[in-house]
Amino acid sequence: MSRYLSYIAPLLTFVILLSLWEFLVILNKIPLYILPAPSDIISSLVVNYKDLFSSAFVTLRITIIAFIIASFLAIFLAILFSQSKLIELSLYPIAVIFQVTPVVAIAPLILIWVGFDNAEYAILILAIIVAFFPVLANANLGIKSVNDNLHELFSLYGSSRYQRLIKLQIPFALPFILTGMKTSIGLSLIGTVVAEFVAGSGTSTGLAWRIIEAGNRLDVAKLFAALILLVILGIFLFLLISYIEKIVLKKWHGSSIR
Amino acid sequence: MLTFKGIIKNYKEPVLGPIDIDIKSKSFVSIIGASGSGKSTFLRMASGLISQSSGSIIYKDNVKPKMGFVFQDSTLLPWRNVIDNILLPLELTKKINSESLDKSLNWLERVGLKGKGKSFPSELSGGQKMRVSIARAMVQGGNFLLLDEPFSALDEVTRRKLEDDLLGIWETNNITVLFVTHSVTQAVYLSQRVLVLSSGPGIILEDLAIERNFKDSFEESPEFLSQVRHLTNILKVEGGAI
Repeated sequence: MSRYLSYIAPLLTFVILLSLWEFLVILNKIPLYILPAPSDIISSLVVNYKDLFSSAFVTLRITIIAFIIASFLAIFLAILFSQSKLIELSLYPIAVIFQVTPVVAIAPLILIWVGFDNAEYAILILAIIVAFFPVLANANLGIKSVNDNLHELFSLYGSSRYQRLIKLQIPFALPFILTGMKTSIGLSLIGTVVAEFVAGSGTSTGLAWRIIEAGNRLDVAKLFAALILLVILGIFLFLLISYIEKIVLKKWHGSSIR
Repeated sequence: MLTFKGIIKNYKEPVLGPIDIDIKSKSFVSIIGASGSGKSTFLRMASGLISQSSGSIIYKDNVKPKMGFVFQDSTLLPWRNVIDNILLPLELTKKINSESLDKSLNWLERVGLKGKGKSFPSELSGGQKMRVSIARAMVQGGNFLLLDEPFSALDEVTRRKLEDDLLGIWETNNITVLFVTHSVTQAVYLSQRVLVLSSGPGIILEDLAIERNFKDSFEESPEFLSQVRHLTNILKVEGGAI
Protein backbone atom coordinates (compact mmCIF):
# COMPACT_ATOMS: atom_id res chain seq x y z
CA MET A 1 0.00 0.00 0.00
CA SER A 2 2.69 2.48 1.04
CA ARG A 3 4.66 1.61 -2.10
CA TYR A 4 1.77 2.63 -4.37
CA LEU A 5 1.15 5.65 -2.21
CA SER A 6 4.70 6.84 -2.76
CA TYR A 7 3.92 7.05 -6.49
CA ILE A 8 0.33 8.20 -6.29
CA ALA A 9 0.73 10.93 -3.65
CA PRO A 10 3.23 13.12 -5.53
CA LEU A 11 1.48 12.49 -8.85
CA LEU A 12 -1.85 13.51 -7.39
CA THR A 13 -0.31 16.60 -5.79
CA PHE A 14 1.22 17.53 -9.13
CA VAL A 15 -2.10 17.14 -10.97
CA ILE A 16 -3.92 19.20 -8.33
CA LEU A 17 -1.32 22.00 -8.53
CA LEU A 18 -1.47 22.07 -12.33
CA SER A 19 -5.28 22.14 -12.27
CA LEU A 20 -5.20 24.95 -9.74
CA TRP A 21 -2.70 26.84 -11.90
CA GLU A 22 -4.88 26.36 -15.02
CA PHE A 23 -8.00 27.40 -13.15
CA LEU A 24 -6.44 30.55 -11.61
CA VAL A 25 -4.95 31.71 -14.92
CA ILE A 26 -8.33 31.36 -16.67
CA LEU A 27 -10.27 32.85 -13.76
CA ASN A 28 -8.01 35.90 -13.45
CA LYS A 29 -7.48 36.26 -17.20
CA ILE A 30 -3.72 36.50 -16.70
CA PRO A 31 -2.10 37.49 -20.00
CA LEU A 32 -0.05 34.88 -21.85
CA TYR A 33 3.12 37.00 -21.67
CA ILE A 34 2.96 37.05 -17.85
CA LEU A 35 1.89 33.53 -16.90
CA PRO A 36 0.61 31.02 -19.44
CA ALA A 37 -1.67 28.20 -18.32
CA PRO A 38 -0.25 24.65 -18.34
CA SER A 39 -2.34 23.90 -21.43
CA ASP A 40 -0.68 26.83 -23.25
CA ILE A 41 2.74 25.52 -22.30
CA ILE A 42 1.91 22.05 -23.63
CA SER A 43 0.61 23.63 -26.85
CA SER A 44 3.83 25.60 -27.20
CA LEU A 45 5.84 22.43 -26.59
CA VAL A 46 3.92 20.66 -29.37
CA VAL A 47 4.17 23.60 -31.80
CA ASN A 48 7.87 24.27 -31.14
CA TYR A 49 8.95 20.68 -30.60
CA LYS A 50 11.49 20.72 -33.46
CA ASP A 51 13.39 23.77 -32.17
CA LEU A 52 13.14 22.74 -28.56
CA PHE A 53 14.08 19.10 -28.97
CA SER A 54 17.07 19.89 -31.19
CA SER A 55 18.22 22.43 -28.58
CA ALA A 56 17.63 19.92 -25.80
CA PHE A 57 19.79 17.47 -27.71
CA VAL A 58 22.59 20.08 -27.97
CA THR A 59 22.43 20.72 -24.22
CA LEU A 60 22.24 17.00 -23.45
CA ARG A 61 25.24 16.24 -25.67
CA ILE A 62 27.44 18.87 -24.02
CA THR A 63 26.22 17.87 -20.56
CA ILE A 64 27.09 14.21 -21.08
CA ILE A 65 30.48 14.91 -22.69
CA ALA A 66 31.36 17.36 -19.89
CA PHE A 67 30.23 14.85 -17.28
CA ILE A 68 32.29 12.03 -18.75
CA ILE A 69 35.43 14.16 -19.11
CA ALA A 70 34.97 15.64 -15.61
CA SER A 71 34.47 12.19 -14.08
CA PHE A 72 37.54 10.70 -15.75
CA LEU A 73 39.68 13.68 -14.81
CA ALA A 74 38.44 13.66 -11.23
CA ILE A 75 38.96 9.91 -10.74
CA PHE A 76 42.40 10.13 -12.32
CA LEU A 77 43.34 12.99 -10.04
CA ALA A 78 41.97 11.21 -6.94
CA ILE A 79 44.10 8.18 -7.84
CA LEU A 80 47.13 10.46 -8.21
CA PHE A 81 46.35 11.98 -4.81
CA SER A 82 46.23 8.51 -3.26
CA GLN A 83 49.68 7.72 -4.60
CA SER A 84 51.42 10.88 -3.51
CA LYS A 85 50.66 13.15 -0.60
CA LEU A 86 52.84 15.81 -2.24
CA ILE A 87 50.70 15.80 -5.39
CA GLU A 88 47.56 16.02 -3.27
CA LEU A 89 48.93 18.92 -1.22
CA SER A 90 50.01 20.68 -4.40
CA LEU A 91 46.91 20.21 -6.54
CA TYR A 92 43.96 19.98 -4.17
CA PRO A 93 43.94 23.72 -3.35
CA ILE A 94 43.83 24.49 -7.08
CA ALA A 95 40.85 22.17 -7.47
CA VAL A 96 39.15 23.97 -4.57
CA ILE A 97 39.84 27.35 -6.21
CA PHE A 98 38.07 26.13 -9.35
CA GLN A 99 35.20 24.86 -7.23
CA VAL A 100 34.62 28.08 -5.30
CA THR A 101 34.99 30.44 -8.25
CA PRO A 102 31.57 31.15 -9.76
CA VAL A 103 31.41 29.80 -13.27
CA VAL A 104 29.73 33.02 -14.44
CA ALA A 105 32.79 34.96 -13.34
CA ILE A 106 35.30 32.94 -15.33
CA ALA A 107 33.08 32.39 -18.38
CA PRO A 108 34.18 35.58 -20.19
CA LEU A 109 37.80 34.60 -19.76
CA ILE A 110 37.25 31.11 -21.14
CA LEU A 111 35.26 32.60 -24.04
CA ILE A 112 38.11 34.96 -24.89
CA TRP A 113 40.64 32.15 -24.76
CA VAL A 114 38.75 29.66 -26.94
CA GLY A 115 37.33 32.38 -29.20
CA PHE A 116 33.78 33.57 -29.58
CA ASP A 117 33.40 31.39 -32.66
CA ASN A 118 34.00 28.33 -30.51
CA ALA A 119 31.41 29.05 -27.85
CA GLU A 120 30.54 25.36 -27.65
CA TYR A 121 34.05 24.54 -26.45
CA ALA A 122 33.83 27.30 -23.87
CA ILE A 123 30.53 25.87 -22.63
CA LEU A 124 32.07 22.40 -22.47
CA ILE A 125 35.05 23.65 -20.45
CA LEU A 126 32.81 25.57 -18.05
CA ALA A 127 30.52 22.58 -17.56
CA ILE A 128 33.55 20.37 -16.86
CA ILE A 129 34.78 22.84 -14.23
CA VAL A 130 31.38 22.79 -12.49
CA ALA A 131 30.93 19.01 -12.68
CA PHE A 132 34.47 18.07 -11.73
CA PHE A 133 34.69 18.71 -8.00
CA PRO A 134 32.00 16.44 -6.50
CA VAL A 135 33.53 13.40 -8.16
CA LEU A 136 37.03 14.42 -7.09
CA ALA A 137 35.99 15.06 -3.47
CA ASN A 138 34.03 11.80 -3.21
CA ALA A 139 36.61 9.66 -4.99
CA ASN A 140 39.31 11.11 -2.77
CA LEU A 141 37.26 10.41 0.33
CA GLY A 142 36.41 6.89 -0.85
CA ILE A 143 40.00 5.94 -1.51
CA LYS A 144 41.00 7.27 1.90
CA SER A 145 38.17 5.48 3.67
CA VAL A 146 39.54 1.98 3.17
CA ASN A 147 39.75 0.62 6.69
CA ASP A 148 43.07 -0.23 8.29
CA ASN A 149 42.39 -3.95 8.59
CA LEU A 150 41.87 -4.23 4.85
CA HIS A 151 45.13 -2.39 4.25
CA GLU A 152 46.82 -4.75 6.71
CA LEU A 153 45.34 -7.74 4.92
CA PHE A 154 46.91 -6.56 1.66
CA SER A 155 50.21 -5.81 3.42
CA LEU A 156 50.26 -9.30 4.91
CA TYR A 157 50.33 -10.78 1.42
CA GLY A 158 52.92 -8.29 0.19
CA SER A 159 50.61 -6.65 -2.35
CA SER A 160 52.08 -4.10 -4.73
CA ARG A 161 50.77 -0.54 -4.93
CA TYR A 162 49.09 -1.42 -8.18
CA GLN A 163 47.33 -4.46 -6.68
CA ARG A 164 46.23 -2.38 -3.72
CA LEU A 165 44.84 0.31 -6.01
CA ILE A 166 43.05 -2.00 -8.43
CA LYS A 167 41.85 -4.70 -6.06
CA LEU A 168 41.13 -2.61 -2.98
CA GLN A 169 41.08 1.18 -3.17
CA ILE A 170 39.17 1.72 -6.40
CA PRO A 171 36.45 -0.89 -5.73
CA PHE A 172 36.12 0.41 -2.17
CA ALA A 173 35.75 3.97 -3.46
CA LEU A 174 33.16 3.02 -6.09
CA PRO A 175 30.05 3.82 -4.00
CA PHE A 176 31.62 7.18 -3.09
CA ILE A 177 32.48 7.90 -6.73
CA LEU A 178 28.96 7.07 -7.86
CA THR A 179 27.51 9.34 -5.19
CA GLY A 180 29.77 12.11 -6.49
CA MET A 181 28.61 11.34 -10.02
CA LYS A 182 24.96 11.70 -9.04
CA THR A 183 25.68 15.23 -7.83
CA SER A 184 27.99 15.89 -10.73
CA ILE A 185 25.54 14.98 -13.49
CA GLY A 186 23.09 17.60 -12.23
CA LEU A 187 25.85 20.16 -11.90
CA SER A 188 27.05 19.34 -15.39
CA LEU A 189 23.60 20.22 -16.74
CA ILE A 190 23.45 23.38 -14.64
CA GLY A 191 26.98 24.28 -15.75
CA THR A 192 26.09 23.76 -19.38
CA VAL A 193 22.96 25.93 -19.15
CA VAL A 194 24.70 28.71 -17.19
CA ALA A 195 27.59 28.65 -19.66
CA GLU A 196 25.14 28.80 -22.56
CA PHE A 197 23.54 31.85 -20.96
CA VAL A 198 26.87 33.56 -20.49
CA ALA A 199 28.20 32.60 -23.90
CA GLY A 200 25.13 34.16 -25.49
CA SER A 201 23.87 32.99 -28.83
CA GLY A 202 27.09 32.59 -30.83
CA THR A 203 27.21 29.19 -32.42
CA SER A 204 25.45 27.53 -29.52
CA THR A 205 21.79 26.65 -29.82
CA GLY A 206 21.20 24.87 -26.55
CA LEU A 207 18.12 25.16 -24.39
CA ALA A 208 19.44 28.25 -22.60
CA TRP A 209 19.58 30.05 -25.91
CA ARG A 210 15.93 29.07 -26.56
CA ILE A 211 15.03 30.47 -23.14
CA ILE A 212 16.79 33.77 -23.88
CA GLU A 213 15.19 33.93 -27.31
CA ALA A 214 11.71 33.20 -25.91
CA GLY A 215 12.23 35.74 -23.12
CA ASN A 216 13.24 38.46 -25.56
CA ARG A 217 10.08 37.79 -27.56
CA LEU A 218 7.92 37.58 -24.43
CA ASP A 219 6.97 34.08 -25.54
CA VAL A 220 6.61 32.91 -21.96
CA ALA A 221 4.83 29.70 -22.92
CA LYS A 222 7.82 28.63 -25.00
CA LEU A 223 10.12 29.70 -22.18
CA PHE A 224 8.22 27.42 -19.81
CA ALA A 225 8.29 24.64 -22.41
CA ALA A 226 12.10 24.91 -22.59
CA LEU A 227 12.23 24.90 -18.80
CA ILE A 228 10.14 21.73 -18.68
CA LEU A 229 12.54 20.05 -21.08
CA LEU A 230 15.44 21.09 -18.87
CA VAL A 231 13.76 19.59 -15.82
CA ILE A 232 13.03 16.40 -17.73
CA LEU A 233 16.67 16.24 -18.86
CA GLY A 234 17.87 16.71 -15.29
CA ILE A 235 15.59 14.00 -13.92
CA PHE A 236 16.47 11.63 -16.78
CA LEU A 237 20.21 12.07 -16.18
CA PHE A 238 19.86 11.62 -12.42
CA LEU A 239 17.81 8.45 -12.87
CA LEU A 240 20.31 7.16 -15.41
CA ILE A 241 23.21 7.48 -12.97
CA SER A 242 21.08 6.07 -10.14
CA TYR A 243 20.28 3.08 -12.35
CA ILE A 244 23.94 2.58 -13.22
CA GLU A 245 24.75 2.83 -9.51
CA LYS A 246 22.20 0.16 -8.72
CA ILE A 247 23.55 -2.18 -11.41
CA VAL A 248 27.18 -1.67 -10.41
CA LEU A 249 26.64 -1.99 -6.66
CA LYS A 250 24.01 -4.69 -6.94
CA LYS A 251 24.54 -7.49 -4.44
CA TRP A 252 27.39 -6.00 -2.50
CA HIS A 253 26.68 -2.52 -1.26
CA GLY A 254 24.11 -1.66 1.38
CA SER A 255 22.67 1.20 -0.69
CA SER A 256 21.65 -1.19 -3.49
CA ILE A 257 20.67 -4.26 -1.53
CA ARG A 258 17.02 -4.72 -0.75
CA MET B 1 59.29 -22.32 16.18
CA LEU B 2 58.84 -18.59 16.61
CA THR B 3 61.00 -16.72 19.09
CA PHE B 4 60.46 -13.25 20.51
CA LYS B 5 63.77 -12.00 21.87
CA GLY B 6 63.74 -8.81 23.94
CA ILE B 7 60.88 -7.42 21.91
CA ILE B 8 59.79 -3.89 22.77
CA LYS B 9 57.26 -1.79 20.95
CA ASN B 10 56.85 1.91 21.52
CA TYR B 11 54.49 4.27 19.82
CA LYS B 12 54.45 7.64 21.56
CA GLU B 13 54.66 5.67 24.77
CA PRO B 14 55.86 2.13 25.43
CA VAL B 15 53.03 -0.32 24.62
CA LEU B 16 54.67 -3.70 24.79
CA GLY B 17 57.69 -5.44 26.20
CA PRO B 18 60.21 -6.50 26.85
CA ILE B 19 58.90 -9.86 25.68
CA ASP B 20 60.99 -13.00 25.56
CA ILE B 21 59.17 -16.09 24.52
CA ASP B 22 59.31 -19.17 22.32
CA ILE B 23 56.25 -20.39 20.50
CA LYS B 24 56.55 -24.05 19.63
CA SER B 25 55.55 -25.27 16.21
CA LYS B 26 52.08 -26.80 15.98
CA SER B 27 51.04 -25.35 19.31
CA PHE B 28 47.85 -23.44 20.09
CA VAL B 29 48.69 -20.35 22.13
CA SER B 30 46.21 -17.76 23.34
CA ILE B 31 47.11 -14.27 24.44
CA ILE B 32 44.84 -12.54 26.93
CA GLY B 33 45.06 -9.26 28.77
CA ALA B 34 43.26 -6.02 29.48
CA SER B 35 42.44 -3.50 26.76
CA GLY B 36 45.60 -1.66 25.81
CA SER B 37 47.88 -4.44 26.98
CA GLY B 38 49.34 -4.81 23.50
CA LYS B 39 47.73 -8.16 22.55
CA SER B 40 47.01 -7.08 18.99
CA THR B 41 50.40 -5.40 18.72
CA PHE B 42 51.98 -8.71 19.74
CA LEU B 43 50.09 -10.51 16.99
CA ARG B 44 50.86 -7.90 14.36
CA MET B 45 54.55 -8.04 15.17
CA ALA B 46 54.49 -11.84 14.92
CA SER B 47 52.93 -11.51 11.45
CA GLY B 48 55.41 -8.85 10.34
CA LEU B 49 52.64 -6.30 9.83
CA ILE B 50 54.40 -3.93 12.18
CA SER B 51 58.00 -3.86 13.21
CA GLN B 52 59.34 -3.89 16.74
CA SER B 53 61.12 -0.89 18.24
CA SER B 54 63.87 -3.16 19.52
CA GLY B 55 64.61 -6.85 19.91
CA SER B 56 64.24 -9.51 17.30
CA ILE B 57 61.70 -12.03 16.07
CA ILE B 58 63.32 -15.23 14.93
CA TYR B 59 61.50 -17.65 12.67
CA LYS B 60 62.40 -21.29 12.19
CA ASP B 61 65.31 -21.60 9.73
CA ASN B 62 65.31 -17.78 9.63
CA VAL B 63 62.62 -17.83 6.97
CA LYS B 64 59.35 -16.07 7.63
CA PRO B 65 56.65 -18.70 7.21
CA LYS B 66 53.44 -18.20 5.28
CA MET B 67 50.91 -16.75 7.68
CA GLY B 68 47.17 -16.42 7.63
CA PHE B 69 45.56 -13.64 9.64
CA VAL B 70 41.97 -13.46 10.83
CA PHE B 71 40.92 -10.02 12.00
CA GLN B 72 38.27 -9.02 14.51
CA ASP B 73 35.89 -8.25 11.68
CA SER B 74 35.86 -10.60 8.74
CA THR B 75 37.57 -8.08 6.37
CA LEU B 76 35.96 -9.69 3.36
CA LEU B 77 35.90 -7.57 0.22
CA PRO B 78 32.17 -6.96 -0.25
CA TRP B 79 32.42 -6.64 -4.03
CA ARG B 80 33.90 -10.12 -4.36
CA ASN B 81 31.95 -13.32 -3.96
CA VAL B 82 33.03 -15.88 -1.38
CA ILE B 83 35.32 -17.88 -3.69
CA ASP B 84 37.01 -14.75 -5.00
CA ASN B 85 37.57 -13.63 -1.43
CA ILE B 86 39.20 -16.94 -0.56
CA LEU B 87 41.37 -16.71 -3.67
CA LEU B 88 42.63 -13.23 -2.73
CA PRO B 89 45.87 -14.28 -0.94
CA LEU B 90 46.82 -16.48 -3.89
CA GLU B 91 46.16 -13.59 -6.27
CA LEU B 92 48.18 -11.12 -4.26
CA THR B 93 51.11 -13.48 -3.90
CA LYS B 94 50.78 -14.41 -7.59
CA LYS B 95 50.30 -18.07 -6.76
CA ILE B 96 47.14 -18.49 -8.78
CA ASN B 97 47.27 -21.68 -10.83
CA SER B 98 45.00 -24.38 -12.13
CA GLU B 99 44.63 -25.88 -8.67
CA SER B 100 43.71 -22.65 -6.90
CA LEU B 101 39.99 -22.95 -7.45
CA ASP B 102 39.93 -26.54 -6.21
CA LYS B 103 41.94 -25.48 -3.18
CA SER B 104 39.48 -22.68 -2.44
CA LEU B 105 36.47 -24.94 -2.90
CA ASN B 106 38.09 -27.49 -0.65
CA TRP B 107 38.57 -24.91 2.11
CA LEU B 108 35.06 -23.65 1.61
CA GLU B 109 33.80 -27.15 2.26
CA ARG B 110 36.06 -27.57 5.26
CA VAL B 111 34.65 -24.48 6.91
CA GLY B 112 31.15 -25.81 6.29
CA LEU B 113 30.07 -23.48 3.51
CA LYS B 114 29.86 -25.84 0.55
CA GLY B 115 27.67 -24.33 -2.15
CA LYS B 116 28.12 -20.77 -0.91
CA GLY B 117 30.97 -19.91 -3.28
CA LYS B 118 28.94 -17.57 -5.44
CA SER B 119 27.36 -15.75 -2.51
CA PHE B 120 28.43 -12.25 -1.65
CA PRO B 121 29.46 -11.32 1.91
CA SER B 122 26.28 -9.28 2.30
CA GLU B 123 24.33 -12.51 1.90
CA LEU B 124 26.15 -14.26 4.75
CA SER B 125 25.67 -14.23 8.51
CA GLY B 126 28.41 -12.97 10.84
CA GLY B 127 29.51 -16.53 11.62
CA GLN B 128 29.60 -17.50 7.95
CA LYS B 129 31.70 -14.43 7.13
CA MET B 130 34.18 -15.43 9.79
CA ARG B 131 34.34 -18.95 8.36
CA VAL B 132 35.18 -17.48 4.95
CA SER B 133 37.81 -15.35 6.62
CA ILE B 134 39.37 -18.49 8.16
CA ALA B 135 39.26 -20.28 4.80
CA ARG B 136 40.99 -17.29 3.19
CA ALA B 137 43.67 -17.33 5.88
CA MET B 138 44.30 -21.04 5.31
CA VAL B 139 44.15 -21.25 1.53
CA GLN B 140 47.84 -20.47 1.07
CA GLY B 141 48.70 -23.62 2.97
CA GLY B 142 50.68 -21.70 5.57
CA ASN B 143 51.65 -23.22 8.87
CA PHE B 144 50.80 -20.19 11.04
CA LEU B 145 47.33 -18.95 11.76
CA LEU B 146 46.99 -15.70 13.70
CA LEU B 147 43.59 -14.62 14.98
CA ASP B 148 42.79 -11.28 16.59
CA GLU B 149 39.61 -11.61 18.66
CA PRO B 150 37.86 -13.19 15.70
CA PHE B 151 34.69 -14.38 17.42
CA SER B 152 34.05 -11.48 19.75
CA ALA B 153 31.12 -10.11 17.76
CA LEU B 154 29.34 -13.46 17.41
CA ASP B 155 26.54 -14.91 19.46
CA GLU B 156 27.31 -17.64 22.00
CA VAL B 157 26.12 -20.62 19.95
CA THR B 158 27.87 -19.54 16.74
CA ARG B 159 31.01 -18.72 18.66
CA ARG B 160 31.13 -22.12 20.31
CA LYS B 161 30.63 -23.87 16.97
CA LEU B 162 33.42 -21.84 15.40
CA GLU B 163 35.75 -22.54 18.31
CA ASP B 164 35.28 -26.29 17.81
CA ASP B 165 35.79 -25.93 14.06
CA LEU B 166 38.97 -23.94 14.67
CA LEU B 167 40.25 -26.69 16.96
CA GLY B 168 39.47 -29.18 14.20
CA ILE B 169 41.44 -27.14 11.66
CA TRP B 170 44.38 -26.83 14.05
CA GLU B 171 44.41 -30.53 14.81
CA THR B 172 44.15 -31.73 11.24
CA ASN B 173 46.52 -29.23 9.61
CA ASN B 174 49.49 -29.27 11.97
CA ILE B 175 49.55 -25.52 12.18
CA THR B 176 50.66 -23.12 14.88
CA VAL B 177 47.85 -20.92 16.13
CA LEU B 178 48.25 -17.61 17.93
CA PHE B 179 44.88 -16.53 19.24
CA VAL B 180 44.19 -13.15 20.84
CA THR B 181 41.09 -12.97 22.97
CA HIS B 182 39.70 -11.08 25.91
CA SER B 183 37.79 -14.14 27.10
CA VAL B 184 39.53 -16.26 29.71
CA THR B 185 37.19 -19.21 29.24
CA GLN B 186 37.70 -19.12 25.49
CA ALA B 187 41.48 -19.04 25.94
CA VAL B 188 41.46 -21.99 28.33
CA TYR B 189 38.99 -23.95 26.23
CA LEU B 190 40.99 -23.57 23.01
CA SER B 191 44.62 -23.46 23.96
CA GLN B 192 47.55 -25.54 25.04
CA ARG B 193 49.14 -22.45 26.48
CA VAL B 194 47.86 -19.07 27.62
CA LEU B 195 49.97 -15.93 27.87
CA VAL B 196 48.62 -13.17 30.11
CA LEU B 197 49.79 -9.66 29.29
CA SER B 198 49.84 -6.87 31.85
CA SER B 199 48.28 -3.47 31.24
CA GLY B 200 50.43 -1.26 29.05
CA PRO B 201 53.26 -1.58 28.52
CA GLY B 202 52.35 -5.25 28.20
CA ILE B 203 54.70 -7.77 29.62
CA ILE B 204 54.01 -11.44 30.17
CA LEU B 205 52.53 -11.83 33.63
CA GLU B 206 51.75 -15.48 33.33
CA ASP B 207 52.66 -18.23 30.92
CA LEU B 208 50.27 -21.05 31.73
CA ALA B 209 50.35 -24.48 30.15
CA ILE B 210 46.79 -25.73 29.95
CA GLU B 211 46.28 -29.21 31.15
CA ARG B 212 43.83 -30.05 28.53
CA ASN B 213 41.87 -33.15 27.82
CA PHE B 214 39.98 -33.32 24.59
CA LYS B 215 36.83 -34.76 25.98
CA ASP B 216 33.56 -32.99 25.38
CA SER B 217 33.20 -32.35 29.07
CA PHE B 218 36.48 -30.47 29.42
CA GLU B 219 34.64 -27.26 30.17
CA GLU B 220 32.88 -28.86 33.11
CA SER B 221 36.00 -30.43 34.53
CA PRO B 222 37.61 -29.15 37.74
CA GLU B 223 40.88 -28.54 35.83
CA PHE B 224 39.16 -26.22 33.43
CA LEU B 225 37.42 -24.26 36.15
CA SER B 226 40.53 -23.97 38.27
CA GLN B 227 42.59 -22.68 35.34
CA VAL B 228 39.91 -20.16 34.44
CA ARG B 229 39.75 -19.02 38.06
CA HIS B 230 43.52 -18.74 38.25
CA LEU B 231 43.78 -16.58 35.12
CA THR B 232 40.77 -14.49 36.12
CA ASN B 233 42.38 -13.73 39.45
CA ILE B 234 45.57 -12.59 37.74
CA LEU B 235 43.59 -10.24 35.51
CA LYS B 236 41.54 -8.98 38.46
CA VAL B 237 44.69 -8.12 40.38
CA GLU B 238 46.05 -6.46 37.27
CA GLY B 239 42.82 -4.45 37.02
CA GLY B 240 42.04 -5.71 33.57
CA ALA B 241 38.61 -5.99 32.06
CA ILE B 242 37.58 -9.57 31.44
